[in-house]
Amino acid sequence: MSVPVKEVPFAGTVPSPKTENEGMITGNWRTRRPVLDADKCTNCLICWISCPDSSVNQNADVVSFNLKYCKGCGICNEVCPVGAISLAPELDFED
Amino acid sequence: MGVKKRISGCVATANAVKLADVEVICSYPIRPYTGIMSELARMVADGELDAEFVYGEGEHGQLSVVYGASAAGARAFTGSSGVGVTYAMEVYSPISGERLPLQMAIADRTLDPPGDFGSEQTDALCCRDQGWIQGWASTPQEALDLTLLYYRIGEDPRVLLPQYACQDGYFVSHILGEVDIPDAAQVKEFLPPYKNHHVLDPRNPQIIGAQMEPSMGPGMQYQRYQAIEGSRKVIEEVHEEFGRIFGRKYAPWVEEYMTDDAEVVIFMQGGHAETCKTVVKRLRNLGEKVGLVRLRTFRPFPTQQVRDALGRFKAVGVVDNSVNFGISGAAGVLLTEARTALYGLGDKVPTVGFVAGLGGEMITHDEFYKMFAKLKEVAKAGKADKQSYWLPFEL
Amino acid sequence: MLEEIKSIKKAPVEEYYVPGHRTCAGCGPALQYRLVAKAAGPNTIFLGPTGCMYVANTSYGCGPWAVPWIHAQITNGGAVASGIEAAYKAMIRKHKTDAEFPNIIVMAGDGGSADIGIQALSAAFYRGHNILFVAYDNESYANTGIQTSPTTPYGAWTTFSPAGPVIPEGKKLMPKDLPKIMAHGHPELKYLATASLSYPLDLMNKVRKGLNANGPAFLYIHAPCPKGWSFPADKTVEIGKLAVETGMFQLYELDGGEYKLTYKPRELKPVSEYIKYQGRFSHLQPEHIEKLQQFANQRLKEVGIEAVAAPAE
Repeated sequence: MSVPVKEVPFAGTVPSPKTENEGMITGNWRTRRPVLDADKCTNCLICWISCPDSSVNQNADVVSFNLKYCKGCGICNEVCPVGAISLAPELDFED
Repeated sequence: MGVKKRISGCVATANAVKLADVEVICSYPIRPYTGIMSELARMVADGELDAEFVYGEGEHGQLSVVYGASAAGARAFTGSSGVGVTYAMEVYSPISGERLPLQMAIADRTLDPPGDFGSEQTDALCCRDQGWIQGWASTPQEALDLTLLYYRIGEDPRVLLPQYACQDGYFVSHILGEVDIPDAAQVKEFLPPYKNHHVLDPRNPQIIGAQMEPSMGPGMQYQRYQAIEGSRKVIEEVHEEFGRIFGRKYAPWVEEYMTDDAEVVIFMQGGHAETCKTVVKRLRNLGEKVGLVRLRTFRPFPTQQVRDALGRFKAVGVVDNSVNFGISGAAGVLLTEARTALYGLGDKVPTVGFVAGLGGEMITHDEFYKMFAKLKEVAKAGKADKQSYWLPFEL
Repeated sequence: MLEEIKSIKKAPVEEYYVPGHRTCAGCGPALQYRLVAKAAGPNTIFLGPTGCMYVANTSYGCGPWAVPWIHAQITNGGAVASGIEAAYKAMIRKHKTDAEFPNIIVMAGDGGSADIGIQALSAAFYRGHNILFVAYDNESYANTGIQTSPTTPYGAWTTFSPAGPVIPEGKKLMPKDLPKIMAHGHPELKYLATASLSYPLDLMNKVRKGLNANGPAFLYIHAPCPKGWSFPADKTVEIGKLAVETGMFQLYELDGGEYKLTYKPRELKPVSEYIKYQGRFSHLQPEHIEKLQQFANQRLKEVGIEAVAAPAE
């Protein structure tokens, strides 16, 4: 079904997003969810810098994951030098 | 006030580009339009024009450079001829789709058929459906004026479309004519600075040219259709204002020459129309009721105005300086356009095509006499025995 | 002037390549894009010649950049960037804008840089425009479903270079060396480097050096592609590391006319260690792997590293 002309962006131009692109939410792609063992996390930020989807958040003590966009690729788990991240099947979670 | 000089079409265009105070120019050599760029290069070197003069790596690169420049908010200019025009083909549609009102001068040239590089309108006409404003100048004066007119029309916020300002290679681009070069103050009054709202500026970040899903495709094309349809009103207003400021009045769509009581006319565009005028004048002196209708704006095509103009004659000859291979019997682009405009008038206005001046040949006085003779026959018989005639082989 | 980033912890927190894009899980090109954007900061304009980083990022009329972005054709990233740069130069000089001169970054794939885009790239560098051209190399035309490009390695499977009884190795040609092409013959070149997403600090600082260079800068970034190279999505960073540790990719920069190795593997591993994780090489016979090893040795030698690793058995 064609989008009405008035809803088509003029000149193919749209405003840039500021902090996230809600036109493409990818969290529902995930089949495995990263889970952090906060006791092990040293906050070295290697997982943060290695995430293609900018979905590891920096916090004061330990990192957290942006599950709205995390695709579950598992790079964070692979690069973590202390084994603080594991991947759990997405269907194990209620939300 | 302005100054009068005898200059070529190329130099006239370059003067207009200087008066438009462009920021970015992108060059690449190909005859015959090269004369525009070498004149602009001189102006930049001599300090007459403050612009970035970028050496394009080819015509595709030229159009890409001005695409970027226009998207960044600059007034940009480029140009080409012949196979250079078609080499850049990829970039024309995104430029008009992204509504970037840059300008390209085309001094036209045949498309390597092979081995020939004389004047012919086929190159620019290949690009006719890309959503650009397009028309032909017939004299160096008009080449200068077209550049100014087109920047103003294209940059109008109601239009925002790029423009092909065309002139016949050699016959206009390299012929000297008296040109009234307006002064900068007049041009400033006519052509305000270029302003576009969707530009690349980190203070107001925008995404230009994102991929769309097919459901947005029809709407994207419809917007461009609305833009070029909407330009018709602007084209008329801007021509009116041009006449007021510069004192040169152009009919925006078709220019009529000795048509008042004419029975047969020739319909054409570009510099060869000047030759045709001489023939019309001589035939008039002999008492023949002949005239000329010259098309000034090709895109948007003034269908109604052409219909109104041509619908009143007993026969119309459409002179095509282009090829349109494969349309049965009708070998030029303008003939198909004219027929579309006249559709429904049926036998009332028999229309016949003349393909002439291809590959850089002159269209001679003798050929125009032959065309008018044929048109008299057609008018008398009320129909033509052929759809079109190739000169000099078939007439 | 962008300052050196001293450690991962000191890297800017702000993202300019934000979450929300349709790139594959574990996408190498997406990761390097994020790092480039982070290093460049807010006063940046990105250009996206057609390729994965155009199509997968801008699907459905939106995109993940917090800074301006414009599409370029796959052919013309260098030329469009030249136009933007020339426009800003002229507009600032003629007082037609009060904007600060921006970072102008082309993000082109290997097709848009080493193949169909090389003419526009070379011309922009010849003319000396103040731009940063990033060639992210995922070693194939991946957006169209994995076809060989000039940087696809010898022996790699793609849909245009499948392995079969007549052509057992798949890709028969050796890849183009794009950074060397760029390094020699562009007198206006101000900075050139190679980088890998597996060395993020090095990558970000090379971006900054390139942007500070005040002239054409070229950055060639190795960007493993899980889909095109056929390896699990979580191995992207590891594959990138192995490429460097086996000598299949070399990290160096050319600053002021001098080549400098920016990372030298302590002990080189055989290329068989690199290719064993990748399905695109799974059909290779020992003689093909030997050829790939010779290729790596040659490239290493060119940047001053003598191969010590023994070929795979």
